[in-house]
Amino acid sequence: MLEIDGVSKRYGTVRALQDMTFSVRPGELFGFVGANGAGKTTTMRIVLGVLAADAGEVRLEGRPIDAARRRRIGYMPEERGLYPKMAVGEQLRYLAELHGMSAGDAKAAAARWTARLGVAERAGEEVQKLSLGNQQRVQLAAALVHEPDVLVLDEPFSGLDPVAVDVMSTVLRERCDAGAPVVFSSHQLDLVERLCDRVGIVRDGSMVAQGRVDELRAGDGTGASTVVVHAPDAPAGWTDDVPGVSASRAEHERTVVTLAAGADDQALLRAALATGPVHEFTHRRPSLTELFREAVGEGVVA
Amino acid sequence: MRTVLLITRREFLARVRGRAFVISTAVILLILVGYSLFVGSLSSAGDSGSTTVAVAPETLGITSALRTAADDQGRIVRVLPVSDAAAGRALVASGDADAALSGPPTRPRVDVETSLGSATGSVVTVATTLLAQQQLLPDPSAADAAIAAAEPVVVAARPEDPAQGLRIGLGAFGAFLLFFSIQTYGAMVAQGVVEEKSSRVVEIVLATVRPWQLLLGKVLGLGAVGLLQLVVLGGVGLGVAGTAGLLVAGAGLTGTLVSVLVWYLLGFTMYATVYAALGSLVSRQEDTQSVLTPVSIVVLIGFVAGFNLVLSAPTSTALTVLSLIPPWTPLVMPARIALGGVPLWEVALAFVLTAAFTALVLWLGGRIYARSVLRTGARVSWREAFTGR
Repeated sequence: MLEIDGVSKRYGTVRALQDMTFSVRPGELFGFVGANGAGKTTTMRIVLGVLAADAGEVRLEGRPIDAARRRRIGYMPEERGLYPKMAVGEQLRYLAELHGMSAGDAKAAAARWTARLGVAERAGEEVQKLSLGNQQRVQLAAALVHEPDVLVLDEPFSGLDPVAVDVMSTVLRERCDAGAPVVFSSHQLDLVERLCDRVGIVRDGSMVAQGRVDELRAGDGTGASTVVVHAPDAPAGWTDDVPGVSASRAEHERTVVTLAAGADDQALLRAALATGPVHEFTHRRPSLTELFREAVGEGVVA
Repeated sequence: MRTVLLITRREFLARVRGRAFVISTAVILLILVGYSLFVGSLSSAGDSGSTTVAVAPETLGITSALRTAADDQGRIVRVLPVSDAAAGRALVASGDADAALSGPPTRPRVDVETSLGSATGSVVTVATTLLAQQQLLPDPSAADAAIAAAEPVVVAARPEDPAQGLRIGLGAFGAFLLFFSIQTYGAMVAQGVVEEKSSRVVEIVLATVRPWQLLLGKVLGLGAVGLLQLVVLGGVGLGVAGTAGLLVAGAGLTGTLVSVLVWYLLGFTMYATVYAALGSLVSRQEDTQSVLTPVSIVVLIGFVAGFNLVLSAPTSTALTVLSLIPPWTPLVMPARIALGGVPLWEVALAFVLTAAFTALVLWLGGRIYARSVLRTGARVSWREAFTGR
């Protein structure tokens, strides 16, 4: 269990983090979303000890994190970086050894991950001679080569081709299933929605919403739901007399109906069928993107 | 500790494997050999054809023989008659005469400052022999013994140390190697720091090691590369000198080598830390030079001043003072120690001052490095480096 508890950080007069609190359970994939500058990278850097927090604490398995425990984290910084003039295999072995692996284990792990990520035949080449896509794969291998118990990845999907995105998704899921807490940040909200068990939305250095995606969707608190109906023959104002309808508007050929909490959607369906054929009748659930827009406020969209 | 060793090993291998290391070693060897040949040719040309000899009244009989011998050997001898032997010695001491002759003309006493040059020596020897032959001409049987006895007796005021040249050579050689290593490998430390910053790899590394470990590993790794080069260059230099018969036993060779190594380690640690801290202030290789230049100039001043003083005025106060100022001590002190005659307390004082200064630099440099190494973008200002987080 990785816990971030009341972490605050200022850069001079700029407040970067204010009481940032969340936790990631073992075997949980946690998506970290928020506008640029909201504090995601700062949070991750504090978890890794690359930055010191002004206040608050990071705990791993219930105890404050220290240098020895941090070695068990696999980290991918937002700013990608490897030694440009060092060969791929050598570099991965070096990083594995820095994380405390023996020379033999490091060699085996480097070979395994280069093979897994499809860069095995490049193992002898300098990193700077690789294509950007392959460099990204090596970067991921660098985060995974020491078989970490926790993964903290800042924008792991940015710059990846679709095949690499699939490989990355599989690997994340796999580490998760092996019982590792996994946190990653991303602006690709559809991906976060698809992959993550839980999502946290950050705004101005604080967590403004967190929970399972369906929980977040369900919850604007009023219990109201939105239904989209496609009934081409329906006259304007056909929903006016249906019980429980609180609002309705036309959207192209469809009608978007807001039902009050506890209203019977079957009554709406019957009313629709009464107007003629019904081609579509769906509950519209807010996407993560909409939730995100709502949470971070107008105008600030990733 | 294993972490520091891993970092040290990476830095060491990354540099030693590079072609730059082999090429720079070869270039330095060429420069050193060329420089020695140049200096060697200068010193042999320095023995000009003219000699001034002060001659006491009782020895004036040798004058014509001296002239004859000098003409035969294509040299010019100026004879300076003086009132007595003491006056002649005074002229030698003041440098107005190269030698002072006194006593019997066939077996004169020759007073000199350090040594009688070989050319002058042979002129005087030939002159005494000529004189003995002329005086004993009527009795050839007695001539042989007298001629054999006729030779100058050389008395030097300050006898020359036979290893003096070697000592100066060793001192200058050591000073040059220290200067070169500190300048080259210190700058490489800075480059390495900037490379890690500009490639952003430093963030991955610092997620698992502490800044001081990375700094220490870097300084040790590049220090080891510099040391390897120092040993290769020093070994080749001494090997060449040995085969050329220039090495004289008892010239304090071992002591000189040990002192060069110790001062190298101290000096390198000091400058490499400064360079690493300076490197951490910038994010792009293009900016590295501008932050390093002030320190490079300090190193250069110490080297140029020290090197020239060692060659021209090895006993001057200026050299003593220079060798006691910490940033310059590692560049100058080993050369002075090689020259010999440095009081032990001076060496001890210089060592303590430099060690204290190095400790200060390590503490300050480590702080600046830890604070600046993750800052990317614009150059980190000094105020931020000292006070910021």
